[in-house]
Amino acid sequence: MPVNPAEEEFLCSPSTQQYEPTTRSPSVYNPLDTFRLPPGQERHYQQQYGDMYFLRLAKLKPAVEAIAVEAWEGFTIAGEHARRVERVLDVRQGELCWVAGTIYMAMPLKPNVLEDLMKDASSDLCNFTSAPPPRRTYIDPSNPELTEIMLEDESGRLRLTGSKLRSVQLATGAIIAVLGTENANGDFEVVDIKVPDLARQPSRWERDEAPPSRDSKKGKIALVSGLGITGTSSENLALELLTDYLLGYTGSSPSRDGSLPDASGITRLIIAGNSLGASTIEEAPGLENGTTGKKLAQHKKYGYDASAYNASPIVQLDSFLAELLPSIPITLMPGESDPANFALPQQPIHRAMFPRARAYCSAPPAGDEKPEPGWFDSVTNPWEGDVEGWRLWGCSGQNVDDVLRYLDFADDDDGNIDTDGDAEARIRIMEAMLRWRCGVPTAPDTIWSYPFQTHDPFVMQTCPHIFFAGNQPRFKTAIIEGDSPLTLNGEDTEMGGIDENASAPTVRLVSIPKFQETGELILVDTETLEVEVVKFGAFAGREEKQ
Amino acid sequence: MAVADYKKYLAENVLNERRTVTYRSLSRALRSHSTLAKQMLYDFHHSENAKKPHSVNAIYILTGTLKATKPATNGTGANGNDEDDIMPSSPYISSSMPNQDAAADQVPVSLVSLVREEDLEDAKTTFESISSIYVYSLQPTVLQDLNVLTDVGREMLVNHAQEDPLELGKQWGMIQNTNVKRRTGTRPPPPPPAPSSIVPAKRPAQSEPSQQQKKTETKEEERPEPPNPVQHQTSSLSSRSTEKAAPVKNEKGNLFSSFAKTKPKLKKEESSTPAASGAKSAEPSGPEDVVLDDASEDEAEELFPDSNKQASGETRESRKEREEKLKKMMEDDDDEDEEMLDAAETSQEPSTIDQPPPKQEDLKIEASVKGGRRRGRRQVMKKAVKKDSEGYLVTVEEPSWESFSEDEPAPPPAKRKPAVSAPKGKPRAKAGQGNIMSFFGKK
Repeated sequence: MPVNPAEEEFLCSPSTQQYEPTTRSPSVYNPLDTFRLPPGQERHYQQQYGDMYFLRLAKLKPAVEAIAVEAWEGFTIAGEHARRVERVLDVRQGELCWVAGTIYMAMPLKPNVLEDLMKDASSDLCNFTSAPPPRRTYIDPSNPELTEIMLEDESGRLRLTGSKLRSVQLATGAIIAVLGTENANGDFEVVDIKVPDLARQPSRWERDEAPPSRDSKKGKIALVSGLGITGTSSENLALELLTDYLLGYTGSSPSRDGSLPDASGITRLIIAGNSLGASTIEEAPGLENGTTGKKLAQHKKYGYDASAYNASPIVQLDSFLAELLPSIPITLMPGESDPANFALPQQPIHRAMFPRARAYCSAPPAGDEKPEPGWFDSVTNPWEGDVEGWRLWGCSGQNVDDVLRYLDFADDDDGNIDTDGDAEARIRIMEAMLRWRCGVPTAPDTIWSYPFQTHDPFVMQTCPHIFFAGNQPRFKTAIIEGDSPLTLNGEDTEMGGIDENASAPTVRLVSIPKFQETGELILVDTETLEVEVVKFGAFAGREEKQ
Repeated sequence: MAVADYKKYLAENVLNERRTVTYRSLSRALRSHSTLAKQMLYDFHHSENAKKPHSVNAIYILTGTLKATKPATNGTGANGNDEDDIMPSSPYISSSMPNQDAAADQVPVSLVSLVREEDLEDAKTTFESISSIYVYSLQPTVLQDLNVLTDVGREMLVNHAQEDPLELGKQWGMIQNTNVKRRTGTRPPPPPPAPSSIVPAKRPAQSEPSQQQKKTETKEEERPEPPNPVQHQTSSLSSRSTEKAAPVKNEKGNLFSSFAKTKPKLKKEESSTPAASGAKSAEPSGPEDVVLDDASEDEAEELFPDSNKQASGETRESRKEREEKLKKMMEDDDDEDEEMLDAAETSQEPSTIDQPPPKQEDLKIEASVKGGRRRGRRQVMKKAVKKDSEGYLVTVEEPSWESFSEDEPAPPPAKRKPAVSAPKGKPRAKAGQGNIMSFFGKK
């Protein structure tokens, strides 16, 4: 074991040394309001979801067609020329052609609102439709052939077949172009597939002014998700160590090799959802049945039973935030188990939930002027914004979790999904989303979503530099690159053009693990976008083994 | 800085009171730098155990990097090195995605681990390199459950809740941030016309429910106790909130006492309850809350508008008096109390700053005054049950005129009691029979 001078720093008698206060590097922060819904009265839920697909297709079709033209123009098989077809219904049998459209996957285990309604009508227990129980996958492993992949646009649907589909993973809502022919069954035999690929990537410091001469000091962005605070004392040890670390109490002088990443270099903490533990929401369904339901009825007088509400998780989250905020700015995204709306995009957790931390919030907006982002910024999920000049796009994980249910696990992993294969698949999904240019492709099909009317914010107008998903079972990171800009021709006018820097867009993908389970904090370097992990925990010693 | 006292402090807490002391609680208690506190703990641990072995038990923090090969004994390093594998070419999206350059790279993992004194050597072997070791906490015996340490942390936060981390963080060795933005008292008033001005005015009207609220709040705060920063502000309001709890309370009491006599008393009660540290720490935040309140909370408080105790002033008396007379006319003994509440509430309204338009009752009562000569007509509200066009029974309150005459002019407040009892004593003084009343009155 290497003897370390670190032992001398702390394991000695108190010195009279004066300690210079360390100062945290400043954070350049410029969030985007992409996912903020209109306030109260202007938020309507009567619209049809079909508009979202229409908008998405309208937005992404030019992009994918540009790529398809590039690849397939002059493409011939056995002397037959590949023809471009405008609409799905214009495809003629036996003719080699290509067409762009939206993927729709019909799967036997997908939640189906008609089935839910039928069940409700027969059982007659409740007159509202509750959220369907989450499934591991929508594929019926016993009948995988029941899964149908279709391509649709405003004119109609076309069933896709072919061995090509087996090597390509798709999910509802992705916009692609397919090359092939319609066979005698009326199915479309797919020969090749094209996706919109990465959107234009903004250059660093596009929206902000680069601070002068910061190269001397490297900064880091800290990412964490799934704090899972339930208010019981047994879980918060790692949280406490995390607090200590972020406040700079842990560790030693940063100069030494092998020491912890310097906490004073962390300029911002981003909490990607599920700050509160799941057990707090499991209470809710319990109220509907049996004894608790009766109890509820007794208290009907005021319509709200305060005794059923356990405030301690949120109080603890508040105190956690309030302890950190004097030293580090925080961006807080809601997650599945947080007190925010359930349908994506989830709106910021209201600052009234944080009586202490909200002192660091921005002032409530006065009139129409856009408020300055707060030191403590409660944001939407998904969320997009610029941190240290880099564009970040992140979600609390619902998007990845849901697309994963479209994947076929039975093939490779024999049902054993919590392995490397799973983490691998999740990163693949994140990559696919970027290439589909759609952060939440399966909304509104299998993820609840706000019915957008005028635009689809889930379409990525620009490609982020850091793309993260929270609450994943494992930490995993990867870098993906887009095509070199030379192949992106000017036809792609709407979604961006040729990057002057002429460098291929490079994206850092990060799947952030649940802190409550892993104790891991992810640090992304603000200069190199390299990733580090700091892990907090207790050593399982003799006491635990007894 | 009471550096010299640390031995005394530790001896008292660890040896005598058998408590757990972490470097952070020590650093807060003595207002010393966290590094210094770690050294104090080490020194104390060293010297005490030299005197008497195993009298003090320590828990260490080890930081560093893990060995690449996971030792089976190490529970914390479960997936420390799984991130190193190179991604194979995509099984899912492959050929549709040109230029599949997904590359995984080596991710350094550092570890912060809490280790008991007995396990220290074991733990050290699992590290590849150790960047620092220090004493996290001292306790008289081996801790069965490390989670006890979180309670220590929480307790520390309770005890030092009033200390502003922005001011004292430097002493503790917290990383300073020069850009921190904390809202001060002078937040720009939100668009709807000054809810902040309504808040103090409304408070008296709600003193009872809001007191209860307050109490539950303090109860809650007994448990977790975050740092509750005493604000240091540059605004004009700051002078008020930087004063400590007691003066603030008094001032508040003065402000509201004209509306609510009960309020200051309740406040005192509250502060003297054994809610103790929790309540006290909550107190200084009181004024802050008033100032910093969000609009939403204001709304929440308006959920409890009824409370009749403290409606004040002569206006109230006379209004009540009139209301009484009305009551007499309408003869609604049963729901009198409820009606009274309403009366108190409505009488409260003129005292608020921006008042809603006066209610209809005002008009009719105005009319009642005009009977200068014992006789006159006045408008009263009568309940009538009607069948509406759809065949539903509807109870309508509608104003109607009735004549009356009385012996006395509008009685002074003292007369109120008899006025109340009068209709009770006289059975069947039905509404709409005001003239009969006047007949009795004349005698």
